[in-house]
Amino acid sequence: MAPLRPWWTRFLDFLFPRETDKWLGALRIGLGLLVTVYALFLRSDWHYLFASTGRGLVSRQLGEAITSFDSPLIPRLGWLVAVGGYADIGEDAVLSIAWACLLCMGLLLLLGLFSRPAAIIAWFLHLCAAESGGLFAYGADDFMTTGLFYLMLSPLPDRYSLDRQLLQAELKDPQLLGFWRRVLQVHMCFVYFVGGLAKCLGSGWWNGANLWRSLTRPPFNLLSPDILVRFKYALPILGISICMIELGYPFFIWIKKTRLFWLVCILAMHAAIGLAMGLYLFALVMIVLNLAAFGIGMRKERPVSAGSMTDGSTEQHPNVSGLAPGGSPIGG
Amino acid sequence: MISKRIYAAWFVVHFSLITAICFAGIFSLVAEGATILPSALERYGRKAELIAAFVLGKEATASSGVRRGIATYLHAAGIQAGYSFFAPNIPGYHRLTFELYYEDGRVEYESPHVSGRAAALRLDGLLDRLADQRYEPIREVVIKMLALSVWRLHPDVKKIRAIFESVSPPRIGDFERGRGESFQRMFSYDLSLRQEEEEQ
Repeated sequence: MAPLRPWWTRFLDFLFPRETDKWLGALRIGLGLLVTVYALFLRSDWHYLFASTGRGLVSRQLGEAITSFDSPLIPRLGWLVAVGGYADIGEDAVLSIAWACLLCMGLLLLLGLFSRPAAIIAWFLHLCAAESGGLFAYGADDFMTTGLFYLMLSPLPDRYSLDRQLLQAELKDPQLLGFWRRVLQVHMCFVYFVGGLAKCLGSGWWNGANLWRSLTRPPFNLLSPDILVRFKYALPILGISICMIELGYPFFIWIKKTRLFWLVCILAMHAAIGLAMGLYLFALVMIVLNLAAFGIGMRKERPVSAGSMTDGSTEQHPNVSGLAPGGSPIGG
Repeated sequence: MISKRIYAAWFVVHFSLITAICFAGIFSLVAEGATILPSALERYGRKAELIAAFVLGKEATASSGVRRGIATYLHAAGIQAGYSFFAPNIPGYHRLTFELYYEDGRVEYESPHVSGRAAALRLDGLLDRLADQRYEPIREVVIKMLALSVWRLHPDVKKIRAIFESVSPPRIGDFERGRGESFQRMFSYDLSLRQEEEEQ
């Protein structure tokens, strides 16, 4: 086992860098905004999407039955409706309460009030909605679930939260903060590497055909095809660029010299997806996750002092030492 | 802090599952011949997909505790699907049209619709799913439910014909030559409140 010890030590060093909680503040605020926007976007169709058989667009029970094939233990809105039934609360009322709770949790996360309970309840309610409406779910739902999952496990509250201001909550272990940021960072690398690899395997991304198809097919066709035709020679370059940016993300995002460039490229790509294809929620969740993972506090490569863990106070923390935040395995 | 070893073990398990999910998706694309890779690799893709499925517990029986446990965790963490968005190629899209037949012989055309754009995006995703072979067992049920949602708005309709079509958008060169979308009927159902009968 002795030869493996240096590897194990390096692995632990990689997993537990010392970090401030700025990134966690960004993640909490970003996800709070997302949950709020998610609830508001679906406000007019909430009951229609999640009503039971014969009352909505497609039966909620059907979506839940499909989810149950995977596992009956996956949370769903049907559980809440069943609990409401015991208290003589009808399905409509339960759905309304669930929606209102989700909105409230989004606002609480935005403010940083009761951060941990708000994160847990938001994760649970969003998961229930995503699973019950599984037939209607898309990528943004999975990323929201993942973001909320990591948020509720992370050492909340952060320095920007009202919890910290009002309750004088204790500072968290900077290595634990570093661990959860590392989890998010590695996760983002998986997302882009696999996405980039899958795109590289399709011929349409090399000749611009896929970009044309994705921008002209409903409901993503916000841009006029006539405008796209004018830029037809740029489509193959853009398509290849997207493949390269995604595939190169897990390598170049760790290198200090290329990090900012890669991050700006990724953020620009998601902003463009949001604006040009109308995938606002998807764009927002990806921007939030990227900023929290690699954006906030990654430019200043100066040692984290005990004082910098607080709002400028001189409060000491036993585990804070002079390691650079966001230290990377490739010299970042 | 809880032992670093526990966190490290969770990290390894968590990302092993993500790796299995992600590469199961990639291998599936290779096995289906949907990529630019040589067809000789398809059988290897299929084998690799089976290995990934084994890691995810999908080879176990549906009632297996391990399989259910893994599935529950994957859904809870939002990692049950891979990240092959818009890849390897962008397929065409799908359209569902309801022909509404009234007692007096009138025929109107209607599509399932929702109020907001966010929900409309999800509805389009549902239609694309219905075209997928994996959703074949629930296709008819979902179409009937969508038809019922339209029926509630038009209670005096005598019969509804649901027509599901695949839409192929023109290529950029074809678009410049003035060609539009082409439609191909995939299936249709004749539905009435008393009896539902599949036509095709």
